[in-house]
Amino acid sequence: MKKLLVSLILLAMLVAPLAAVLPAKAQDDLPTNPLACPWEEEEAAEAEEGEEAEATEEPMEYNGGQPVNPPDLKGKPIRVLDLPKLIGIAYFAATTKGLNEAAEELGNVTIITDAPTEANVDDQITFIENYVTQGIDVIAFASNDPVAISPALRRALQAGVHVIGFDADSEPDAREWFVNQATFNGMAKALIDSMVEEVGEDANVAIVTSSLTAPNQNRWISEMLAYAEKCYPNLNFLETVPSEEDQQLAFQRAQELVNKYGEELDGIFAMSSVAGPGVADALTQMGVCDQTISVGISTPNQMRPFIKNGCAPKVVLWNPIDLGYATTYVIRAVVDGELVPGDTEVEAGRLGTLPVINGSEILLGPPTVFTVDNIDDFDF
Amino acid sequence: MAATSKAYKSQTVESGFSLRSLTHLLGSQEFILLMSILALSLVVYSDNPRFGTERNLLNILSNASYIAVGAIGMSMVIITGNIDVSVGSLIGVLATIAGQLAVHDYPIWMAWTAPILAAMVVEGFIGFLVAYLRIPAIVVTLGMMSILKGGLILATGGAWIYDIPQEFFLAQRQPYGIPMPIYFMVTLVILAALWMHYSPTGRAIYAVGGNAEAARLSGISEKRTLMTVFILHGFMIGVAGLLFATQFTTIQSTVPPGLELMIITAAVVGGVSILGGSGTVIGAMLGAILIRVIQSGMIFLNVSAYWLQAVQGILILLTVLADILRRRRQAASIGK
Repeated sequence: MKKLLVSLILLAMLVAPLAAVLPAKAQDDLPTNPLACPWEEEEAAEAEEGEEAEATEEPMEYNGGQPVNPPDLKGKPIRVLDLPKLIGIAYFAATTKGLNEAAEELGNVTIITDAPTEANVDDQITFIENYVTQGIDVIAFASNDPVAISPALRRALQAGVHVIGFDADSEPDAREWFVNQATFNGMAKALIDSMVEEVGEDANVAIVTSSLTAPNQNRWISEMLAYAEKCYPNLNFLETVPSEEDQQLAFQRAQELVNKYGEELDGIFAMSSVAGPGVADALTQMGVCDQTISVGISTPNQMRPFIKNGCAPKVVLWNPIDLGYATTYVIRAVVDGELVPGDTEVEAGRLGTLPVINGSEILLGPPTVFTVDNIDDFDF
Repeated sequence: MAATSKAYKSQTVESGFSLRSLTHLLGSQEFILLMSILALSLVVYSDNPRFGTERNLLNILSNASYIAVGAIGMSMVIITGNIDVSVGSLIGVLATIAGQLAVHDYPIWMAWTAPILAAMVVEGFIGFLVAYLRIPAIVVTLGMMSILKGGLILATGGAWIYDIPQEFFLAQRQPYGIPMPIYFMVTLVILAALWMHYSPTGRAIYAVGGNAEAARLSGISEKRTLMTVFILHGFMIGVAGLLFATQFTTIQSTVPPGLELMIITAAVVGGVSILGGSGTVIGAMLGAILIRVIQSGMIFLNVSAYWLQAVQGILILLTVLADILRRRRQAASIGK
């Protein structure tokens, strides 16, 4: 027993310094591209053209696929298959609502929503094949698996069907265009700006991320740090802690951060839809929301109580209704020949002009910030 | 059985308050654990005194509670020489059941008791397969883990539960400033410890795990003891699930990752022998608290949280190693 204890202590002594030299990183090494600070935006808008040509020296070439001999349906009524990841959840009910809103405005688009009740790519492939056989003009999909869905989409293109992605992409050459809901630097800017609006720029903040290796989270955090360094150099990042996809762990991490830093801690970024409610719940139950608040990425239904009680006053995400709405406009533009490879923007009704990025993606625009003022307009 | 326990008692009475029994106490797993918890807390406290605030200590104990309650049942199961790796998935399912009942306007008492009953039914079924059909517990519970995990995703589609009525949140209440889960942990651990120490069925658990053949010869029904253990284990997991479910304002309808491992770790680090036959639920509770102290301490000491998994693994290996060495030494001394 004694020997064991001694070896245990020795082991702990060996391990402790190792732990100190291997701190959590939670960022990636990719180049960052911070957007303009709020006060620069107007100037940036004026100087945009010259600057953009400099920043993106070679805009990516169009890398989507094209349908083979599609029928000419310019200005004619079209039937669109809306194939989300699954039906029966509020998020995709919202995208479908947006698709139909735009279809009503246009008047010559019929949306047929049909999808599996579970997020299953095999079922999605069956739906694609059945509709191509029966005859459909356009397929709008959100894939459950970017690789597995691609062969079926390529066969649809072969059969002369237009294929447009939204929310979750396939391989680029398996569809014509993809409507992208948010860029990393756009989300980063919205998160940092929201936090600074709440706690000011001379503040101490911490980050509760999902896992330290999660690629999306690490990209967001890298962009956030770059944007904060550029626009709010006094915003002090204390530390980044992981919570996996575990609400209980996020809850505990937030408690630990508040206990560790006390009143010095002004805000916590919650970087996933699981961390968001966990962190906000901990702040609520500890009753510290007058000192420490949370800003995060999550959905309105999960965060509604915390947006209303002021513990998570701002939640950042995109608007899935707008995502569906933009997708219908993109579809119409493609069928009418108004959006062709090489174009740099597309008209999307009430959303105005949307830019083309990364070769064959259409960007929805800046993310939506949910606050107490607009939270009740959303149900997903 | 009666004879052996009498002999054991008279032996302890004879040695009385001798040095030997003192070293026995000092060498017990519970004492070592308690000292480890105190020593670790002191180290972290000296580095950052905020670790010692009342709120932080209560947070640690509260977060350890459902693990400790789960580890009570798990200890009994492990003492009989079995294991249950399905508890994490089961707790996820129970939380969803409780939340769904509460959100669909069923009476709150029903939302609280349904998960406990459901857990007793599931564990009773596992116990039946293990005790009467003689299927190894690891196989049964591995299967059950997949069934529960898959079934939960099929049933909920991963949709969260929100807009739960406020009265539902039992674990958020704080009578006399102390979080409710701590009351549950302390009460259930004391009751279980007394039951296992004094009741004939409680003693039978050790007998079955220690030497099934001797237990059978002394008139203990192994099958009935196993059924009792699994149903009681179900009750404890049900309470753990209830504490887990009522802690959060929104319920994540998925299985909490790694929860079964944490409960098993608490029991094993608490001195419950994976070979069966020995261990106490007080040790298991201390094991759960130790895990939470390490977790919290690592944040305070700025140690990457990824070391936690390694530390948890090292703890299990060391305690199992110590247990096996101790048994070997005992066997050797009996041999002499």
